[in-house]
Amino acid sequence: MASAQHVLLSPAELAYLHSSLSLTPPIRPDGRTPTQFRPLVAETGILPGTNGSARICFADGTEAIVGVKAEVEKTRSRHDDETVFVEGAGDDGEEEETDDITRTGESDWIELTVEIPGLRDDDSATAFLAAMLSEALLADGGLVKRLWINRRFHWKLYLDIILISPPLSYPLPLLSLTTHLALLSTRLPRLKSEGDEDPFFDDDWAAAPYLYPRQQTATPTAKSAPRSPATRPPITLLVMAVANNILFDPSKEELAVADAALAVSVTSSTRSDENDDGDGDDSMDVKEKKGRNLRLLSIRTVDPPSRLTPPGVANSSNAAYGVAGNGNGKATEGRTAVAEGEAVVEGVWRAPRGGAKRAVMAALVQKALERGGVVDEVFDALEGVELG
Amino acid sequence: MTDRRRINGPVGATIPPVFEDTLTQELKAVKKRSRPPNAIRKMYLKTGVTPSASGSAYLEIETTGKPGVSGLKLSCSVHGPRSLPRSSPFSPHMVLSTHVKYAPFATNKRRGYLRDPIERDLGTHLEAALRGAIIADRWPKSGVDIIISIVEGDQDRETSKFQGDEMWDMMNALSGCITVASAALADAGIDCVDTVAGGVAALVQESGDDSTSPNIVVDPIPSEHDKILAACCVAYLPTRDEITNLWFKGDLPASEMELYTKMVEKGIQASRHANRVLIECLTETIG
Repeated sequence: MASAQHVLLSPAELAYLHSSLSLTPPIRPDGRTPTQFRPLVAETGILPGTNGSARICFADGTEAIVGVKAEVEKTRSRHDDETVFVEGAGDDGEEEETDDITRTGESDWIELTVEIPGLRDDDSATAFLAAMLSEALLADGGLVKRLWINRRFHWKLYLDIILISPPLSYPLPLLSLTTHLALLSTRLPRLKSEGDEDPFFDDDWAAAPYLYPRQQTATPTAKSAPRSPATRPPITLLVMAVANNILFDPSKEELAVADAALAVSVTSSTRSDENDDGDGDDSMDVKEKKGRNLRLLSIRTVDPPSRLTPPGVANSSNAAYGVAGNGNGKATEGRTAVAEGEAVVEGVWRAPRGGAKRAVMAALVQKALERGGVVDEVFDALEGVELG
Repeated sequence: MTDRRRINGPVGATIPPVFEDTLTQELKAVKKRSRPPNAIRKMYLKTGVTPSASGSAYLEIETTGKPGVSGLKLSCSVHGPRSLPRSSPFSPHMVLSTHVKYAPFATNKRRGYLRDPIERDLGTHLEAALRGAIIADRWPKSGVDIIISIVEGDQDRETSKFQGDEMWDMMNALSGCITVASAALADAGIDCVDTVAGGVAALVQESGDDSTSPNIVVDPIPSEHDKILAACCVAYLPTRDEITNLWFKGDLPASEMELYTKMVEKGIQASRHANRVLIECLTETIG
């Protein structure tokens, strides 16, 4: 597990870190607030040979590059009811009408690979990261629908995620944010052909539409602006709990004392709900100011590396501090008694045992999905990135 | 690499036409969940099936009683705790390694002999679920291998057109893996804080009904439901009331957090049911 990489902290340091993170408010080693992210540098469109690309560099020196490439692929025909219907129906008009309805995609239209230096590509940690990122992309089925060209052809999207630096911290948030930006900047050539004929594309790259169409951001008050469904690619956040505190974007050292850690994938959509269907644009604008319509896509427990940290030895059972003086046989006896009795001495680090309480798990998810909370801030910040 | 020296067949596989049969039509119509929404399927659990391993268990979950629907059959063996090889660095805890492997014939699509990313992913989930349960600091400098082979995956052989089914099947497989591995760990005599068991709950939508509100079912079989909106798999320690692994997948509006909470609750309920079987099996072995 990538999260289980060795942290070079002594039991005393771990105990100190744990107690300072359990204070209210918690004191993090780098002075951040519980919901604050590490500063990062982001840019898009850095790779000219791709359909979309992005690079993010965290302040701690971890850096990732994502390239998205698309290829036209023939859709595997299956003997479904639909195919039979298409062959039987000769009416062109009817077919075109059903086009929008039958736009479906399959999960193997997206191929995602993760490369982390120092890890084999068949390592289970890499497989876990790749599965988590692709699971979020596929969960709502919105992305694969966009890859549909016509009944015979579709786009196949290759997402190659490369961590350039050594994994100094658990790379999940970095990789997820980079993938998000790369997908936002992805453009596919404009389709010129019609219907089910072999696809033929416009060679003008400037006319290529974005994979995730955006709203007219210049003047949000302009009523004439066509409002496209601004669904955004998902992001995956790492949230961890220490005692009663919930911390976002933990660094490697913080993760080493976590009681529980979760990876939560969310996406945002401004698709109108039933309640604001009848209202005009103004109410939508108000809504956007308040917060987005977040959708929960996936949650995974990340095995915190704190379970693998070395335990401390209390003075009362330490042979160097006079326990041995009581008698030759009693030193070992005392140690085993402590080990079995599991007395928790304050300031002596013990790796957490057991799982996380149900309430803690619920609080982690609740905090991540809060309206106007961290996720909104992250989405706002990512919107500020210029798409080249 | 293509072989250019010989005359090869076409690259793309051709699919023979399938003619609809009235018999299969009827069978498809029967497929509906017959259990109440909060009941899991019956399961059979036995420990100590592999004499050479230090602990082992076998789990079988019943079929739905219809032809063509196979149940889940899992076999788990635990090797260790044994000393780590000399080359490995010092570890103050027991080093846990989990392997989950589908047998090549376990699913509709044949699996290879090498573990694919899905199986590795399952192994990581299982490791997270078990690591919370075992008391690892009692065995420093030692390692334990947990090997699970899925002899029969829980897949409907008739429905090949549902491609999305596979990802929901993984949840059921994982919950079975957690339960069987927990039994095998107990059989091996490795100290645990509690017996951990897996449970699955899903949010399903039936298109046949006119009521549009989705409902939550426990231990879902994907082929029995028209559409699964979301599912979660929970590994739960009943006496400590703690969750060691939580895996949620689906598409749920963040405004409907009660639905999510209810799903986790149902998953815990399913896990409690499985745990009862586990406890009964373990007491039977002792008595």
